[in-house]
Amino acid sequence: MNWLTGRRRFTLMIAPAFLLYTLYMVYPIAYSVYYSFTDFDGVAESGFAGLGNYRTMARDAVFWTSMRNTGIILAIAVLLLIPLAFLVAVLLSGNVKGSSVLRPLVFAPAIVAPILVGLIWIFILDPKIGLANALLVAVGVPARPQWIGGTALSPYSIAFVYLWQQIGFIVTVFYAGLKMLPKDVMEASTLDGASRFQQLRYIVVPMLQETFGICTALVVTGVFKVFELVYALTGGGPVHLSEVMVSYMYHVTFTTLQYSYGMALAVIVFLAGAVASVTTLVVMRRRAAA
Amino acid sequence: MTVKNRTRWIATGVAYLITFVILLPLLWLVLLSFQTNENILSNPFSPAHLNLANYQQAMQTLNLLVMYKNTLILALVSVPAGLVVSYLAAFALTRMVFRGGRRRVQNSVRYYFLAGLAVPVYILLFPVYRLDIAMGLFGSYAALILPYIAVSIPFNILLLTGFLREFPEEIEQAAVIDGVGLWQMAWKVVFPLMRPVIATLAILNVIYVWNEFPFAVTLINDPTMTTLSLGISQFQGAYGADYGAMMASATLVLVPQLAIYALFQRQVIAGMTAGAIR
Amino acid sequence: MSTLTSTVARPRTTRTRRLLIAAVATVLVASPLTACGAATTAGGKAAGDSVITLSMHNPDSKTQDPATYKIVEAFNAKNPTMKVNLVGQPVEQHEQQMTIAAQSDTLPDVFWVYNSLAQTMNKNGNLLDLTPVLAESGLNGKFAPPMLAGFRNGATQYGLPYQALVTGFYYNKDLLAKNGVTLPATFEELVAASKALKAKGVVPIAQGSNNSAFSVWAFLTMLDRFGYEQKYPGMLLRASSYDNPDFLRLYEHIDELAAAGAFPSNMTTQTYVQAVASFTSGQAAFVDTGVWDAAKIQQSPVGGSVGFWPGPTFSDGVGEQKLVMNAPSAPLVVSAKVKKDKKKYEAVKAFISFYYSDEGQQIMADNAQPPVTTYKPTVDAAKNPVFADVLAATTKPGWSSPQAQPDLVVSAETASAMYDSLYGVMSRSLSPKDAVQLVHRSFK
Repeated sequence: MNWLTGRRRFTLMIAPAFLLYTLYMVYPIAYSVYYSFTDFDGVAESGFAGLGNYRTMARDAVFWTSMRNTGIILAIAVLLLIPLAFLVAVLLSGNVKGSSVLRPLVFAPAIVAPILVGLIWIFILDPKIGLANALLVAVGVPARPQWIGGTALSPYSIAFVYLWQQIGFIVTVFYAGLKMLPKDVMEASTLDGASRFQQLRYIVVPMLQETFGICTALVVTGVFKVFELVYALTGGGPVHLSEVMVSYMYHVTFTTLQYSYGMALAVIVFLAGAVASVTTLVVMRRRAAA
Repeated sequence: MTVKNRTRWIATGVAYLITFVILLPLLWLVLLSFQTNENILSNPFSPAHLNLANYQQAMQTLNLLVMYKNTLILALVSVPAGLVVSYLAAFALTRMVFRGGRRRVQNSVRYYFLAGLAVPVYILLFPVYRLDIAMGLFGSYAALILPYIAVSIPFNILLLTGFLREFPEEIEQAAVIDGVGLWQMAWKVVFPLMRPVIATLAILNVIYVWNEFPFAVTLINDPTMTTLSLGISQFQGAYGADYGAMMASATLVLVPQLAIYALFQRQVIAGMTAGAIR
Repeated sequence: MSTLTSTVARPRTTRTRRLLIAAVATVLVASPLTACGAATTAGGKAAGDSVITLSMHNPDSKTQDPATYKIVEAFNAKNPTMKVNLVGQPVEQHEQQMTIAAQSDTLPDVFWVYNSLAQTMNKNGNLLDLTPVLAESGLNGKFAPPMLAGFRNGATQYGLPYQALVTGFYYNKDLLAKNGVTLPATFEELVAASKALKAKGVVPIAQGSNNSAFSVWAFLTMLDRFGYEQKYPGMLLRASSYDNPDFLRLYEHIDELAAAGAFPSNMTTQTYVQAVASFTSGQAAFVDTGVWDAAKIQQSPVGGSVGFWPGPTFSDGVGEQKLVMNAPSAPLVVSAKVKKDKKKYEAVKAFISFYYSDEGQQIMADNAQPPVTTYKPTVDAAKNPVFADVLAATTKPGWSSPQAQPDLVVSAETASAMYDSLYGVMSRSLSPKDAVQLVHRSFK
């Protein structure tokens, strides 16, 4: 059912959001795109640099490291976070004792400021004074892995912390979706004797296509915005090995003052995130339509 | 014990375990906040010298009342305003149809908004600062409120258009037969049924404003405008950092926040049951 | 899908629009109503007084930079018609905000920035030439020439030294003695001491690179012991390379030190502040830092048995080995706009005169900061032995200081590469050769 209407009313209803969004989001992007083609240092007047910054990027090993690390986090987030969050939402929407108490608690990490998330996890993952290795020692595991700060594990640890930070949020979106499902469908299938798993697989999941799409799009775009975690946990180090795209962009823009190069990196971050999320949405819509 | 009962107990056990694992880092934070800065950095596993000194330090340095006031003003203005403009746009994008069926226009506009989801906020800082100066807003709450609304729009529209699309037509049809106009349809018929989504969005938006750091640190240069999210950075000196006070002020901000959410959550549940589509 | 034609009458359209306008207005009304907090930074002074803003790199100067805080306090007490309003933020945010403010022409009156950003601002005409201020206040004779030279471009004195960087290692005398180690003098002795301490389970040298990659002070001085001051002008012109046999030799030495277990296992995840904490809690024998930590170390449990050591000499070094870093840190600069406001200009001049007066510099020394002028402060060595030991190292006969700290004479990008190269080798993530090449590539 849709409402046939004139163009004017449509325009009027769209206008406030459109104007604010264009002024405060789209204009800044245009601004960044413009400066990515200059040699602006952040303060003084600048000259045109053509594709210079983008050529530098192609040869910049740290940029490729940051891409790889972002890719690792993306893969872990999509493969682990989405299914895990869905299962927790199902668990909490079932008749678990005291689930009304558990729900806000599961959500708690999502309330914590991102910069604080990093600060908390330093005191868990630090190889020397962290809780994680202390627990390992307590249960008799002699190994003291370098969760962060080493050359190998950092991106995976960052992905894990991202998972922790986001799970309550995604659970809540799934939970809202589950609660909006027509009750009779669930009841009918229970009466039919469908097992819990079959019910999930063949009834609930297909009915939540849109919600799955939203969650995936959120997780995907979220990954391209991960910054504070890395900033607090490792500062991108050692020697930029744990840098992700945004943290490297921040380093280039604000620490080494290569403003125009930083903007070129920002443009790529934005494009990568936009392509990834629009692809997700389109794929999900196709599947929903099919 | 019946099979059904047993699965219920297992599910409960698993749910509690997951919750505990998720909460563990926060419990660690609270525990650390009672230790001395020295202890946190060198020997955090000896809870021998627990004390309240960090809380005293945090209370002395931070003007929590002013910070709460500023944060509340920002949240109370930007979140409802953001929801209203987003809902209007989302409604127009999903429930309206033009003569000649221009779905394509609506879809393009929707993607135009959704592209904003991918914007890393750090590229907005310089241009937004200049915009605020140019419009004479710098130094006022509006300097932060306007970008907060703008940043919330893509996510609001994503969620709202998603749920509006799944919204059953029958209710609208019935309303139209009753002779309801467009405006009433949007606000009196559809909006109440969207309460769960709106409430969820409200919570998430408030949390965003509550924790927002990059804009706040760039656009606030007056101590009387300081927000809660800037609190922790007050203990980060050039050559020293008071981790104990950071942990304590984090706890002081987090606990009320969690309590408010827990309270509000009941409202959300109430909204969900009332608005559930059967 | 059923489609219905809207039959909404005209009045309702008007109402729609009115409500829409109301929605937007909600947003905009918020600004004038709530903007009142903005302009009230003067705090307690009458309207006719001159108020200047001093923007620093510490959010809470009272505890984090007491020297500056006390100087401002004394100045405000002495000058009833003038007021310095001291504000601040963490270093990174401060640099970020100053950059944006320079773009938008909204810089504070007096502020701290890293020299690389100050140079850019100076090029862009954001900063006031302080040559006349120095002359009018009779301050010219008060500085040793290197203290001003780093902040001059041609005839323009765009900045003044904020504080002095005296850097090197603090060492825990008791901990060394308990483990049968004597204070090293040469690099070989430092390696031997590190091995001995490591074997006893003591962290030899506390370092922390997380969010503090710049914390390599003692190692920057080592670059000077391999001829950095002669070499770097050529590197800036790309006439010579950072990848040279001398520097490579130094990096190989650092690699050797790392192999000896000199650095803590969590060096890359702890911040420099944590590194200092591990020293003050008696877990580490040495810590690489500077004079600004003297007071903190003095008040810590190990404060009674700490000495200051400028770092090892090298038998295969280049040029003078008896070097102790005592160079200007980042500059204090003044916004060019101050000149347009006579009252402000006078207040800035008065503040600068006070800051560098003997009285101002004594306040610095009272707060464990060495003077940046030639003033000889009175320091109670019995009460502040750690600070006194640092000061003694700077005046030790036969020892001299480089003109500037190596990272402060190159671009921010090269400085960052230098930090990475040093921490890269110390954490054994980079080979010495890769490390020097990394820095070499950053020269453009």
